[in-house]
Amino acid sequence: MWKAMMRKNQKNNILIAILIGVSFLLILSSQPVDAEEFLPNQNFLIGKVADNQGSPVIDADVTLLDQGGNSISEALTQSNGIFTLPMPNVFSNDLTVKIERHHFEELLVVVDNSDQQLLQAGNTVSIEDQVMVRVINIGFWVATGIFIVVLALIATGKLHTTLSALIGASLIYLVSYIGRPFLEDIYIFNFERSLQYIDWNVIFLVMGMMIVIAIVEHTGIFQWMAFFAYRTSRGKMWLLLPILMLFTGIASAFLDNVTTMLLMTPMTVQIAIALGISPLALLIPEVMASNVIGVSTLVGTPTNILIGSFGNISFNDFLSNLTPGVLVSFIGLTIYSWFIYRNNLKKAHKPTPVLMEKLAERGKITQPENLKKVGWVGLGMIVLFVIGESIHLLPAVTALMGATALLVWIKPNIEEMIEAVDWTTLVFFMSLFIVVGGIQEVGLISFIAENIGNFVGDSLVLSMLAVIWVSAFLSMAIANIPFTAAMLPVIGYLTATVPGAESKVLFFCLSVGAAMGGNGTLIGASANMVMAGIAEAAGYKISYADFFKKGFPAVLITVSIGTVWLFIKFVL
Amino acid sequence: MAGIVCAIRGGPYSRPTIEKSISLSIEKGQKIFFLYIVNLEFLSNALHANIQIMEEELREMGEFILLLATESAKAKNVTAEGVIRKGKVIEEIVAQCKEVDADYILLGKPQMGQSGNVLNIGTMDAFADRIEEASGAKVVYVEGNDAEESKK
Repeated sequence: MWKAMMRKNQKNNILIAILIGVSFLLILSSQPVDAEEFLPNQNFLIGKVADNQGSPVIDADVTLLDQGGNSISEALTQSNGIFTLPMPNVFSNDLTVKIERHHFEELLVVVDNSDQQLLQAGNTVSIEDQVMVRVINIGFWVATGIFIVVLALIATGKLHTTLSALIGASLIYLVSYIGRPFLEDIYIFNFERSLQYIDWNVIFLVMGMMIVIAIVEHTGIFQWMAFFAYRTSRGKMWLLLPILMLFTGIASAFLDNVTTMLLMTPMTVQIAIALGISPLALLIPEVMASNVIGVSTLVGTPTNILIGSFGNISFNDFLSNLTPGVLVSFIGLTIYSWFIYRNNLKKAHKPTPVLMEKLAERGKITQPENLKKVGWVGLGMIVLFVIGESIHLLPAVTALMGATALLVWIKPNIEEMIEAVDWTTLVFFMSLFIVVGGIQEVGLISFIAENIGNFVGDSLVLSMLAVIWVSAFLSMAIANIPFTAAMLPVIGYLTATVPGAESKVLFFCLSVGAAMGGNGTLIGASANMVMAGIAEAAGYKISYADFFKKGFPAVLITVSIGTVWLFIKFVL
Repeated sequence: MAGIVCAIRGGPYSRPTIEKSISLSIEKGQKIFFLYIVNLEFLSNALHANIQIMEEELREMGEFILLLATESAKAKNVTAEGVIRKGKVIEEIVAQCKEVDADYILLGKPQMGQSGNVLNIGTMDAFADRIEEASGAKVVYVEGNDAEESKK
């Protein structure tokens, strides 16, 4: 028994040590790194390589050739597209720089005579910035096809979401490694390059929040909230509906939407059954509120986590730029929900004493001590999220530190904690980053960005409208996480090229469109599917058509309000 | 001990099935076992789903649905018990029938166009044959809309 306890404590300590170690690594990784060091008195030929949209071309092979075409120096372009060719002690004139990179046309740059003379004199010389032109080859079409297959597999639900993304990543490796010897142009990227596309900030932020959620969900807070909403409303439906929606929304702003709906739905079903109304009249507004209010924070939706990390948008930025608009959207959604469900809700009657007793029993906090600890740690995490930007603290580090603090303070069963971390979700994100990296690598994203850029021109207004509404409508049909991941580089390009977009408004447009658009269809958001599954398990089935009839007008209302808010905030 | 097993999911389509089981119980003088089966297959493709927590939550929800059914039976002086089982629907129905040596198993008749359900119009006869063969209980389908009995 004692040995077993010791083993359990050791496992706890190991997990905590890993989390602390990862936190430190993330902190260190966020510090600036010194440039590559060279020998003193060494001179260099320096240049910068970008694609035709101005994005740096990374890992391009740069070779300095002499008159006879022999290589006399080699380098790789860095993350900013810059290459630094160390010059040999002795070299002839007529130098040429050859730049090669998969998915781009080879580039040959003749070094000016004046630059060559400077190099001969031992000076470091910087040549003009170079632009590489993309080529569309078989690799482009294969990567595009793989991405479409992954989207289709996720949308149809034929395979687990994670398996769909994993198949996509594996196919990319398969064609890159096995296909390349037979067909050179089919190559997409190698394993090392693919890892560069994985956003580890997202992975660790999601993981940290999962541990926090795993502890929160055992406390009974969700069930208590649902019952508290019922008690507060005293059976008045016009009060119960908005309170339930608000509680669900607030919980979704700090925890993930799926967990919130997993835990709110069963209790809501019981309240509705006790009141003699259809649970769908409460559940559909609840899940919509979850998708709408979740937009207001960095950790509220997976899409915001992706957007925040890619666009370097802080917790504060989301709060200050989106919360007022989200609240007005929520009010619009509440009025709409009451309007469509008023007849059903008005049929509510008083629950029988037996059912009431059962509800009260379920609506209790099961772990009050742990809930207090969660409350303090949660408060600390919010403070760190808020002040994090000013002290260069990444949200992922805050999440990991919060998770570690809870593990140390509460000491939960480590096996349960390991089970509670949804590793499949983490694998999904990693695989998705690789698949999206594939289409980035071959130039599909650049192609889309360039065409959208041509369409919107210099108009910020047109760009905002296009991003919000295209995101909203596409999020109804395809899963919004892969869609957002694919759109981020496009938004990055538009942010750099459209005048006025440097405020990062287009990232906020993507956030609003992708998350609120998820309300349009049952498959638009994972939380919708989970809610529908539980409702069906209680005998209340909702079809795709029924959800669309309720959800589509809700999207029009909430996204319209969101659009107006973003115009007020960023344009007027 | 003989009894009547009444498999329910809750919702409007279960009400006629519950009513029918109560009237059958009064007629045969047998105890009703209201059965709710926790099936988590709908979470198989979902991300972020804590299966352990979800099972607990669905059990609680099932208990509530069963409480509603047993209260209806008690109101008519019929002896009834709520039973929760976890697993595949057919296997659990058969197991419950065997466990209580049931004479009857009452099921809601699937609706036209209903999808995503274990039972549908096309498979209900085969389903009934399988249960009767495996458990010895007679399968009674109850219409969802008008609660008219529809024996196989």
